[in-house]
Amino acid sequence: MKTVHAIAELFGRSPFGPLVRHTQKVHECVREVKPLIEAFLRKDYEEVERLYDRISDLEHEADTIKRDIRTHLPKSLYLPVNRADMLKYLKEQDAIADTAEDIAVLLTIRRTKIPTALHDEILLLTDKVIETSDLLVKAASELERLQKSVFGGKDAEQVIEQIAQVNQGEYEADKVQTQVSRHLYEVEDELDPISAYFTMKLFRLLGEIANHAENTGDSLDMMLSNQ
Amino acid sequence: MLIFIVLALAIGLFMAWNIGANDVANAMGTSVGSGALTLKQAVLVAAVFEFGGAVLVGAHVTSTIKGGILSPELFAATPDIFMFGMAAALLGAAVWLLVATIFGLPVSTTHSIVGAVVGFGIITVGWGNVNWGTMASIVLSWVVSPLCGGLLAFLTFTFISRKIILSESPYDATVRWAPYLVAVVGFTLSLSILYKGLKNLNLDLSFSVAGPTCLAIGGLLGLSMRVWLKRRHQPTGFSVAAVERLFAGLQVVTACYVAFAHGANDVANAIGPLAGIMQVYQEGTLAAKAPVPIWILGLGGVGIVAGLATYGYKVILTIGHQITTMTPTRGFSAEFGAATTVLAASRLGLPISTTHTLVGAVIGVGFARGLAALNLRVIRNIVTSWVITIPAAGLISVVAFYALRSLFG
Repeated sequence: MKTVHAIAELFGRSPFGPLVRHTQKVHECVREVKPLIEAFLRKDYEEVERLYDRISDLEHEADTIKRDIRTHLPKSLYLPVNRADMLKYLKEQDAIADTAEDIAVLLTIRRTKIPTALHDEILLLTDKVIETSDLLVKAASELERLQKSVFGGKDAEQVIEQIAQVNQGEYEADKVQTQVSRHLYEVEDELDPISAYFTMKLFRLLGEIANHAENTGDSLDMMLSNQ
Repeated sequence: MLIFIVLALAIGLFMAWNIGANDVANAMGTSVGSGALTLKQAVLVAAVFEFGGAVLVGAHVTSTIKGGILSPELFAATPDIFMFGMAAALLGAAVWLLVATIFGLPVSTTHSIVGAVVGFGIITVGWGNVNWGTMASIVLSWVVSPLCGGLLAFLTFTFISRKIILSESPYDATVRWAPYLVAVVGFTLSLSILYKGLKNLNLDLSFSVAGPTCLAIGGLLGLSMRVWLKRRHQPTGFSVAAVERLFAGLQVVTACYVAFAHGANDVANAIGPLAGIMQVYQEGTLAAKAPVPIWILGLGGVGIVAGLATYGYKVILTIGHQITTMTPTRGFSAEFGAATTVLAASRLGLPISTTHTLVGAVIGVGFARGLAALNLRVIRNIVTSWVITIPAAGLISVVAFYALRSLFG
């Protein structure tokens, strides 16, 4: 007979390990966005389909981790951080993967020809967005270690600095997004309205990844300082 | 009658075995969980310090519990009934402990034996002769002992977290503050031994002698800790991991402390009733206080070590594997809070439980934000098992009493 000893049972399941796994899974999703957009721009639609499947699978895995974390957070579990902040953090982080999947869906539903003049800037925007997500992963991966240092001290200070960099990354991605949107209307004559709408939507979704990364960083900051 | 005495000794040994299998194992689980001790080391520490605590400080508590809940004078005319009753109480408590061990319940050995004594007391001398005041203090201890252990553990971990973990340089802060923590442990530990503690060795020091001596012992321990830390001091940056490695060493000290406190407090449960039986057997009469021969204390110690070695290690392993999120700073705080409370209560002669206190201490560390997650739902089940302990042990004891009386009476 396998008995869980009551003293051991007092130690609830730590949500911080699974939260870091969620971070990593979400980021795996985001990293596929670059090859996805490259494939789309060079009109390799087979590869787009393949990457869509991959992103969709990763998003699903992230979802599973998210649900698992939520179902293991009963009210009777006393946590060293504010529960609401933690759930907000999880929700925002999950939205990053959702947005990556939205981009993949968008690119599979219409074979829009995007003017070559915009390609470089679209890739730059993609890089900036992924960079922002990279910065977030660096900060969020420390969560498990932060628990050991009571969410304070030097370790927390470092993470808060990294969160500031995430915000900076989002700001830069925003600027690139504005710039590339401007250029889109400069070449609007080459585009039919639906293609223009489609391209704008792609920009917006890319920008949203950075936005969600920023929000995730902010909730992490809240978790650390809201004590 | 000789057969009965042999049987009684066997039951006493069985009770001690159960204490080793359940209680001691609960107390050592946190040390193994944090990685401060390996399983083998934990068993060794428990064996040595339980034995030491039992033999050096043990007897002080024995008479209080035995005489507190039921006055032996009630049986002055019927010493046989008293002997059967004590054996039945031991058996009742031991069987209940075995059930608790199998189901992973952290129940109290102290309260099991009290419940068992009350059980046979009610059927022999009636409800009116049970000391309900002692019973009330036990009910109170369900709240007070976890609260005290919890508060001490909370304060200890908050201190460690503020002064060390959250400091600019956690490693340097450990070198600075750890000697004080060691000094406090040394002081309380030696005070519990020296102040009225060494009755068994006929060394009864008054407070005016014991107090300063213990301060000196604590200070000396702290000082040597300081020298040792300074010598091995190497700058390791801001790493909290290095702090945990240092605290793993300190936790070895608190693990010894817990084992010692437990031995002092709980071993008496197994050998107290046995001492009563032996007195009646050897002298034919019984007094309010039975002398506790050191060989009986030794027997209790042997039984506990046997329980630890044959079954307790399984419990330690179970707990140790399931609480991997416990780190040495947390383990140190919990064990320090629990052991200090238990030793203080032993000194005051209060029937409190090491296990209950440790449960409170773990919760205290959790509330000090030391644990990744604290499962508060379990508390209800744990407290329920504490309450059930009294009637359960009592009922088994009643059955055992009738069985023994019909066999030997």
